Amino acid sequence: MTPIHDQSYRRYAGVRQEPGSAWLTIATTGIRTILGKKLFLLVLLAAWGQFFVRAVTFYLSANFPNLEILAPSVETFRQFFEIQEIFVLFVTVYVGSGLVANDRRSNAIQIYLSKPLSRVEYVVGKLGTLVFFLLLVTLAPALALLFLEIMFSASVAFVGANLFLIPAITLYALVEVLLSAFTMLALSSLTTSARYTAMLYAGVVLFTAALFSILFGITNSSALAWLSFRANLDQIGDVIFRLPPRYDSSWFLSVVVVALLIGLSVFVLERRVRGVEVVT
Amino acid sequence: MLWSRRTVFMALVVGGPVVVAIIVRALVGMDLLSGRGMVDGRPITVDGPIIFGLMIWGFYLRFAVPLLGVFYGTALIADEVEDKTITYLFTRPLSRGAVLVGKYLAYLVSTGLVVLPSVMLVFFLVVPVLGGEIGSAFPSLVTDLALLALGLAVYGALFALVGAWFKRPLLTGLVFIFGWEPIVVVVPGYMKRLTVSYYLQGLVPHAMPQEGLVSTILSILQANEVFPSAAMSVLGLGAILVGGLGLATWLVERREYVLEQ
Repeated sequence: MTPIHDQSYRRYAGVRQEPGSAWLTIATTGIRTILGKKLFLLVLLAAWGQFFVRAVTFYLSANFPNLEILAPSVETFRQFFEIQEIFVLFVTVYVGSGLVANDRRSNAIQIYLSKPLSRVEYVVGKLGTLVFFLLLVTLAPALALLFLEIMFSASVAFVGANLFLIPAITLYALVEVLLSAFTMLALSSLTTSARYTAMLYAGVVLFTAALFSILFGITNSSALAWLSFRANLDQIGDVIFRLPPRYDSSWFLSVVVVALLIGLSVFVLERRVRGVEVVT
Repeated sequence: MLWSRRTVFMALVVGGPVVVAIIVRALVGMDLLSGRGMVDGRPITVDGPIIFGLMIWGFYLRFAVPLLGVFYGTALIADEVEDKTITYLFTRPLSRGAVLVGKYLAYLVSTGLVVLPSVMLVFFLVVPVLGGEIGSAFPSLVTDLALLALGLAVYGALFALVGAWFKRPLLTGLVFIFGWEPIVVVVPGYMKRLTVSYYLQGLVPHAMPQEGLVSTILSILQANEVFPSAAMSVLGLGAILVGGLGLATWLVERREYVLEQ
């Protein structure tokens, strides 16, 4: 005899989670999905390439006195972030382009928002996926390098003399990551195609860079650096790492531009991520 | 191809330089831009043709042409696979290679129809400012237009191959133009010959003004043998064009595209 199962109403037996924690489910699911892609693991490995090279130079400088030229300095950590910029672009494009666009394409946003999940939680969850991977190629290797420096030199002299490096690395990584993540997410919410979003983002970054270099050629001054997406980050980075700013424009103007870009992205997300589109 | 949402992207890419040209023209008209400056204590003067040369190099050859090549070139086959419409194309009574070549020609015509008029607009807006003359700069415009058409053709062929070959062609294309090309071009040795921009650079100086700061910088770089000769450049670009399109056609003829359910 086959047992007959009771299909009538049953009380929910699962664990009830506090409101506001659903974003974590979206973020962890997104992270797991991306980690399952082999091509992305290759990108991630390439992004950590600089870390391995720097680690070898740190080891050599710490153990061979005649190789002191390779010794780390504040500039080393600033340069580390500059070289990582290209990987920030690739990771942002790979991970971020489809985050909202794919949901819009398959009308999944409506399904998401029909659950006990607010729009803010949805956006924060998607943002969390991108921020996690961006921090993985910026903040994590930079802090790991600082840790390796202490280990290889068996001394905290360098870190002690440059104690500001820890907050500087953290702050700059956060500024870079948040700007990239918010911009990409906003662009992703504007279309239903991940390819289109990727090209829009690459277009914005590269067009503003080309615009600045041409204006630099015409005016022979870098006072218009604030027009460039990347130049703003470079300018802010120099100030955070206590180095002389490389452009003639005010670093405060760059801070304002970055804040405006993030604000504009939040505005776009607020308008575009909706369960039902109201047509008037 | 012209009547699609992608045209908006293309219009944005080529509309940006036109907007900048209008702003430059307005600034010069209001005497807010003189074109004079100092570099290393030496006075330099930038005129209309030099600004046009800068815009051709910075906006079109280094930005618009590779970006449009990646966007459209990789989409020739990848979009049909993604939209699951490639089956309908391949069941038509014509060879698979002909489908690819036909789509490639459509890409060339549609991008050319948008990019080249944009260059014309920029030329007429920028060249007459700060003492420049349209008549004397006109031959360089013809060279620039030919160069851009060649760039679109070569990048398109290369990325058609990438689109036919790779599962994630867009990322591969972006890595090539923004990762591989800028790094390899400055590496000593033969590595730079594996890029498109190396051969394009060999042709650019002939299209740029022969006087002023830009040509001075270019002549310094040429003295260090950074650029190939014009003949070598045309040969290299031709090889990439024919090789890329030929290989893409060969791949499409033989490859089985599995559509994700």
